[in-house]
Amino acid sequence: MLELKGVSKRFPGVQALDGVSLMFAPGEIHALVGENGAGKSTLIKIITGLLQPDRGEVHRDGRRLRFRSYRDSLAEGIDIVSQEIEVIPESTIAENIMLDKLITRGKTGIIDWPAVHRAARACLERVGLPLPTGTVIKRLSAAHKQLVQVAKALAADARVLLLDEPTSSLTEHEVATLFGILRDLRDKGVTIIFVSHKFEEVFALCDKVSVLRDGRLVGTKSLQDLTRKELVRMMIGRDIDRAHLGRLDAERGREMLRAERLVRKGKVENASFAVRAGEILGFYGLVGAGRTELARVLIGEDRLDAGTIYVRGEKARIRSVADSLERYGIGYVSENRKEEGLLLQSPVRTNITIAVWPRIAGRIVRAVSRTKETAIAYRMIDGLDIRTRGPEQKTEDLSGGNQQKVCLSKWLAADCDILIIDEPTVGVDVGAKDQIHRLIWDLAKTRGKAIILISSDMPEIVRIANRILVFRDRRIVGEIQGVDDPAKSYAELSAAIGMHLH
Amino acid sequence: MPTSATKRPGIGGRTLGLIISTTLLFAVLSLLSQSFLSSYTMFVISRQMAFYVLIALSQAFCLVVGQMSLAVGAIGSLTTIVLGLGLETWNLPAGAAVVLALGVGVLAGLLNGLLITRLKIDSFIVTLSMMFIYMGLRSGISGGSPYKVPESFRAVGQGSLLGIPYVFLLVAVLLGLVGFMFRSTVFGRRLLATGGNAAAARLSGIETGRMVVWAHVLSGAFAALAAVLWASKLGSAAPETGDDWLIVSFAVAIIGGTGLNGGIISGLGIFMGSAIFMLIKHGLVEVKANPYYANSFLGLLILLAIVIDRVRQIYSDKQKGT
Repeated sequence: MLELKGVSKRFPGVQALDGVSLMFAPGEIHALVGENGAGKSTLIKIITGLLQPDRGEVHRDGRRLRFRSYRDSLAEGIDIVSQEIEVIPESTIAENIMLDKLITRGKTGIIDWPAVHRAARACLERVGLPLPTGTVIKRLSAAHKQLVQVAKALAADARVLLLDEPTSSLTEHEVATLFGILRDLRDKGVTIIFVSHKFEEVFALCDKVSVLRDGRLVGTKSLQDLTRKELVRMMIGRDIDRAHLGRLDAERGREMLRAERLVRKGKVENASFAVRAGEILGFYGLVGAGRTELARVLIGEDRLDAGTIYVRGEKARIRSVADSLERYGIGYVSENRKEEGLLLQSPVRTNITIAVWPRIAGRIVRAVSRTKETAIAYRMIDGLDIRTRGPEQKTEDLSGGNQQKVCLSKWLAADCDILIIDEPTVGVDVGAKDQIHRLIWDLAKTRGKAIILISSDMPEIVRIANRILVFRDRRIVGEIQGVDDPAKSYAELSAAIGMHLH
Repeated sequence: MPTSATKRPGIGGRTLGLIISTTLLFAVLSLLSQSFLSSYTMFVISRQMAFYVLIALSQAFCLVVGQMSLAVGAIGSLTTIVLGLGLETWNLPAGAAVVLALGVGVLAGLLNGLLITRLKIDSFIVTLSMMFIYMGLRSGISGGSPYKVPESFRAVGQGSLLGIPYVFLLVAVLLGLVGFMFRSTVFGRRLLATGGNAAAARLSGIETGRMVVWAHVLSGAFAALAAVLWASKLGSAAPETGDDWLIVSFAVAIIGGTGLNGGIISGLGIFMGSAIFMLIKHGLVEVKANPYYANSFLGLLILLAIVIDRVRQIYSDKQKGT
């Protein structure tokens, strides 16, 4: 029995987990579901020792576990299969599987390679992967890498096995094999924790489901007496009833951006769409479905392989981000605020004005006017209600929601009419989430911005977008018009990405 | 005052620490030796400091964008040879020889920058290879013997105004300009942003590749300038010029608070850094330390500067709490 008791974890600006108590029994497959940012990955990292909780305890069969590292959890028989924890790319399948238990010849310390390969092959066979054990990992597909991880967990004889979105790159046949293995392990008394977005799989495989929302546990239910609708309601919670912020009459707006049959090899296939001034166009889909990839092409960060982009009715050639900003007025708010959005060590002022420095600089010396800079910073701080001690505050010290506002303000300061906003509320507190939604909506409504909102958060996109494109496997696979009835939209969106509600 | 996008204006704790250390060292040295405060010693020390500042800036431009240059000294060396060739072998007018030499420095920096950005090779590897290439060229071309320079060429390196060396005055002005550039100009801000977070800078419309190239060009230009002035001071173009610049460039830049991960530079810091470096070197002579060990002291000094900075960082992180 693996038990969490009141586990809490706070990151700067967001309460990732808030007093979560959960029990995982041996011989059960326990699904863990929740929207992005609900706290699933934090929970997984705590169980596997990658993070330590601020408060609360993890117990195993009544013993308190104190993990200081991933290694500690391995020693306890807890193993994880995820795309984040990488296998060692330069080494062979056998080495990866047998890494911490290489068989040696007696006590000489010399590795008995034939024995290692034999043991590895046995594990590979169990996961149905007929590959030579000497294959170098980096030559494998994502799917095969994942199966190698499962094999590794089998070799480790794990007693608790966590699987984080294990099927995202597997074929149907491989999924079936994996599920067979998992059922087999369950019958042998292994505790399996299964994190997935896909309801089909949760219902097909799992015994119990626990739902997390905004860092809290909504509840644990047996899947036998739960309908899909009820599960969606648990995931989305009060938001399901929360009304759309209001109609955006975009029909009258000018067409700001049109894309025709855009192709980025291996990332985006044949994407066509248009967005008008005063409209929020949602890009919905799972991570890797092609949404961010399309955005990067639109801003000139990645090369366009085929297709045409029109900005304000004219054919556009966007060669760099500088181009998209200066010539076409397109701004992109990255999904990775900290890595790609902000100079965290710099003051808020710098981050707000970075894209307008050339415009507020003198003609000859090109010195940035500090007065204008500070004025712009104050205008944004007031206008977007950014909570900071002032423009000189280090950006790192702001909460997630306020950092996100700083990211947005960069493009508002630069007068961009077309905004591409990627996962704006990941790692943001619930209250700030609402504020950011209203802010984005208001930018379209009262300031006539043409906005593309990329999100895998269903309530979010249904709440503020007035038209949603659904992305799956690098393509636009559906479009949902006029979002009036949230419940209907959820059903349509779920169906479009393949998690059927009915 | 560290100008990064980062710090608030005003003298930060780090710069204050540098000022205090410099003052202390200065006081100790004046007590240790009667001749320390003489105008001659001051003249020599201030001129040497000026060279350290130039060499450190050459490194700091690269550090600011998150890179490094191991070729700082080698570029100085190559420049010296070109200068010597121009003045002695080709009999060019001093002005033309200087322009030629500076041009070579700029080109060398440009080449570094282009190799790094176009072929996406690490700056360490590129500048390491270039260092050896230039060192080889310098020895091959010069055969190890110095070139003569005309009397008139020595004016800048050896002259002074009101007892202050021309070189010092020139460098003070340059340092002020560099400080202004980073604090206020679009160009300087963009260099800092590139080093602060390249991905964020690029997604904010800054062409970071171009910034990196510029950083190396500036680095080459400053190394070349230091080499030309050094030849003027020395009264000959000596091939061994630049041999000790690698350690000097890192030591002074780092003691002066230049961020090793990019995005942070301070003009005043580099000035104080060069003062500390100079005073310690001078002090080692005063206390009659065995000169054969000099490099060990300098290495220790760099390490100390980094350790102090690291401890300060850990302390401030702790204070913020988690």
